[in-house]
Amino acid sequence: MNQPTHTSAPGISAGIPNAQSRKRLNLRNEEMSMQVRDLNLFYGADQALKNITMDIPRRRVTAFIGPSGCGKSTLLRCFNRMNDLIDICRIEGEIRIDEQDIYHPSIDVPELRRKVGMVFQKPNPFPKSIYENIAYGLRLQGVKNRRKLDEVVEHSLKRAALWEEVKDRLEDNAFGLSGGQQQRLVIARAIAIEPEVILLDEPCSALDPISTAKVEELIIDLKESYTIVIVTHNMQQAARVSDFTAYMYLGELIEYDDTAKLFTNPAKKATEDYITGRYG
Amino acid sequence: MTATSKGHAISARDLLPSGEQRKKLRKIRHAKDLTTRAVVSAAGYGVVISLALIFVFLFIEVAPLLRNASLGDPVSYPVPGSDADTMYLASERYQEAAVRFARDGTVSFFDPTDGRPLLNRVIDFQGGEVTSFGSGEPRTGLVAYGLSDGRAAVIQHEYDLSFPDDVRLVTPKLTLPLGEEVVVIDEQGQALDVIAIQQGATGIGIAASTRDGRLLLTRYASRRSFLTGETEFVRSSYELPAPPAAPTRILLDITMRILLVGDAQGFLHYYDIQQPAQARLLDSQRVLDSAGASVSAMEYLLGTVSVIVGGSDGSVAQYFLVRDENNIGRITQIRTFRSHAGAITSIFPEFSRKGFVVGDASGGLGLHYGTSASTLFIREVSDNPITNASVAPRNNALMWTDGTRQVHYASLWNRHPESSFTALWNRVWYEGRSQPDFVWQSSSATDEFEPKFSLVPLSVGTLKAAFYAMLFAMPLAIFGAIYTAYFMSPKMRGFVKPTIELMEALPTVILGFLAGLWLAPFVESHLPATFSILLLLPVFMLAFAWLWSLAPKALRFLVPPGWEAALLIPVILLTGWLCVSLSPVIEVWFFDGSMRQWFTEVGITYDQRNALVVGIAMGFAVIPTIFSIAEDAVFNVPKHLTQGSLALGATPWQTVIGIVLLTASPGIFSAVMIGFGRAVGETMIVLMATGNSPVVNFNIFEGMRTLSANIAVEMPEAAVGGTHYRLLFLAALVLFGFTFVLNTIAEVVRQRLRAKYSSL
Repeated sequence: MNQPTHTSAPGISAGIPNAQSRKRLNLRNEEMSMQVRDLNLFYGADQALKNITMDIPRRRVTAFIGPSGCGKSTLLRCFNRMNDLIDICRIEGEIRIDEQDIYHPSIDVPELRRKVGMVFQKPNPFPKSIYENIAYGLRLQGVKNRRKLDEVVEHSLKRAALWEEVKDRLEDNAFGLSGGQQQRLVIARAIAIEPEVILLDEPCSALDPISTAKVEELIIDLKESYTIVIVTHNMQQAARVSDFTAYMYLGELIEYDDTAKLFTNPAKKATEDYITGRYG
Repeated sequence: MTATSKGHAISARDLLPSGEQRKKLRKIRHAKDLTTRAVVSAAGYGVVISLALIFVFLFIEVAPLLRNASLGDPVSYPVPGSDADTMYLASERYQEAAVRFARDGTVSFFDPTDGRPLLNRVIDFQGGEVTSFGSGEPRTGLVAYGLSDGRAAVIQHEYDLSFPDDVRLVTPKLTLPLGEEVVVIDEQGQALDVIAIQQGATGIGIAASTRDGRLLLTRYASRRSFLTGETEFVRSSYELPAPPAAPTRILLDITMRILLVGDAQGFLHYYDIQQPAQARLLDSQRVLDSAGASVSAMEYLLGTVSVIVGGSDGSVAQYFLVRDENNIGRITQIRTFRSHAGAITSIFPEFSRKGFVVGDASGGLGLHYGTSASTLFIREVSDNPITNASVAPRNNALMWTDGTRQVHYASLWNRHPESSFTALWNRVWYEGRSQPDFVWQSSSATDEFEPKFSLVPLSVGTLKAAFYAMLFAMPLAIFGAIYTAYFMSPKMRGFVKPTIELMEALPTVILGFLAGLWLAPFVESHLPATFSILLLLPVFMLAFAWLWSLAPKALRFLVPPGWEAALLIPVILLTGWLCVSLSPVIEVWFFDGSMRQWFTEVGITYDQRNALVVGIAMGFAVIPTIFSIAEDAVFNVPKHLTQGSLALGATPWQTVIGIVLLTASPGIFSAVMIGFGRAVGETMIVLMATGNSPVVNFNIFEGMRTLSANIAVEMPEAAVGGTHYRLLFLAALVLFGFTFVLNTIAEVVRQRLRAKYSSL
């Protein structure tokens, strides 16, 4: 996972038709990283997720698409238990990561979150220097050795394709970076603590097209080493970066399949309506 | 509109009012807009202007303190009465009459403003020639001529005030308190070269040195006759040990205990004359530095404690007796004033303050002030030596004579010589003190009192009160804010936050009242309880929290998350009760029954109303301020930052330390600043619970007096327009400036914080 990759990404112009040309994958052949079983999630009396059962393959990019309010972000947040922060949130069913139930009482939540990193919709660098932003996660784990920190900061920034842009101003405040750079910084911050899974919650929705292209490029790069789950509104983006796509609607998982197949030949009418714009 | 009435389908265009109506509406909206803008701007500017006006008003009240003394244009007129040398000049309170004593015994009263003669009288010296002249404190009007035959003429100038037809009429009069005859001072009939006279509570004292070098003291003890009600004098006379050199000036104090002799070699000698028969020379000090200089003028300041010594070298210095370890007074130089260009010829003290006017041989007239060690001015007013100088009783005019047989009179503005930077902020050696010190004592029962206007005790007191209040309030308010904003369940927060903010509405007079009348005595009688509560409360709370984490899950799940803090309420109450009920036992075991008594025995000063009580009471007053702002700052830390931190595997505690506090720190800082500003400006609590003693220390068991409480205490008793009054305004200005700066810093930090958050 440490070897730098130089895989060239598909062009920005890559749209839904291009998905067709990609090599077909089959979920059944994949090694699974996370398993969701009969997951129900309630916000008070409202049910936000209904009977979700799905497997997320290892070292692949899985995209969740669907209209606003369909529960895709909620589902994403279940994987690192960020929903715990919401008082009225209640969960039934189970999620296993590497065969371990993450909602088991013996689970150490901070350790789970180290293992399952997350990148949010809006770039959220801390009000610290670029260096300290990256080092923050490691310091949490008790790493104090400056040389080790230097090494990891450099590696993570290189991995996030940001090193060349910031190497001369590591001590500057992270707010001085552009939105796209900030988002890549946040990704670098997430991979600095060597997670296994990276959850991306609409990572490009606040970015301009050029920054978006860079982040997408990075995502494709990173799947060599990490299991990636991405929530996106942008179906073209899902088609460009993901290997598998799940379409959700009103808290239910409607269809989940190989991206190329889902976009070109959806099994369900609802999916087809959504991806072709005939929503409903 | 018309379409709807016909029942047709309504289009958007139909709904809109007609063009004309819309035009009218636009005008109305525009007018409303303008009105609102005007009203809001007026209100905003109004706030700024009223703030500025307060500042301007304070500054106007303070400004005269900064103004220098100034002398008006002098008027000159020929000396009234005789052409003989002037011995002494003095004037009356309303400047309607002045008096001049001439060498030939002519005493002439005149109008000081134009020289118009009012009354002339010639004293009969019964054949003696005038060889010396002495005066008592100016307010007594007592003077004495020393004669060549060993006798002396004692004269008092007085002024009767009457209001015939509601017009003020000042009638000067001359009395001879010791009888119409000149009195014998030297039985041997030698000429009196130097004479001093003073009136005290017990009578009149006259000291003189004779031509053949003897030093004589004559006392006229006054006794009121039971039969006639008239005052009789009993004379007693003594010869004192002769000084080593020829005396040039002699002074007697009003207690008739101290006799000071200045001599031609620049020495000052101190005689203890409490028992005149055993009078002793206790101390001699060289008071002039230059070789060959003699004491050319010497006069007591008001109250006859400090003596101003003027030398023939032009130096002016203040001395008084400071007791050494053997309780013997030593002549000590207290301060020096700016030197004059010529020999000092005349010193005249102010009637009601510690200032004095000095005339010198090169025509210079100087005005100095003792307490503030300031020389207000030295002005060349004549080409001839000044022979006599005099200041009006109300310090509003100067009068002097030079060799030209003319009297010069000039108005004077010298309202606030007591205040100078040195007097306000440096250690000042006040009369009767053994060393320079910071003292605030603005008034006293006697007229001779030297006001002590050091702002240091008040500033230190203010900072002390604020410091202890912050020591109490800061940890509670800040940690409370962090807990409430970050860990507490929203429901409980909704209950706790308004409650604490409501505490701010509690009138501070009630807090002060409780602190002074209930808390202070309670703390005094339960000292061990107070300390053990402060010590044990955190320990017990942490212990309980730890035990709770070990409690079985079934029990822990009974309390919803975020409500755990409520469990501490019984713990706190129980700890408090335990400490209070154990307090007497602890006192008996460790402190012989009373910790208060024990403090006294080990030498710790303990006042009932002290910084501890004030810290707690004022702490309560500032907690809501700090809590509210700090809580907002912590609560407003963007959720995506805390979530970002949590998503990186941070525990909630790590997130608080690493992200929340970092991001909220400017807000917390500004909360502390505003709380500090509040503590500095707080009045009622410190007024009622500090004891108001202006001491300069940080002892937690002693009280203090703050700037604000001082203003509240003394403003009603300060004479409007006086130095004291203006200094209270200066204190207000200092306070205003202080809180203004603190709040501005807090606001600037907050603005920057807001700008920063908007980019997050």
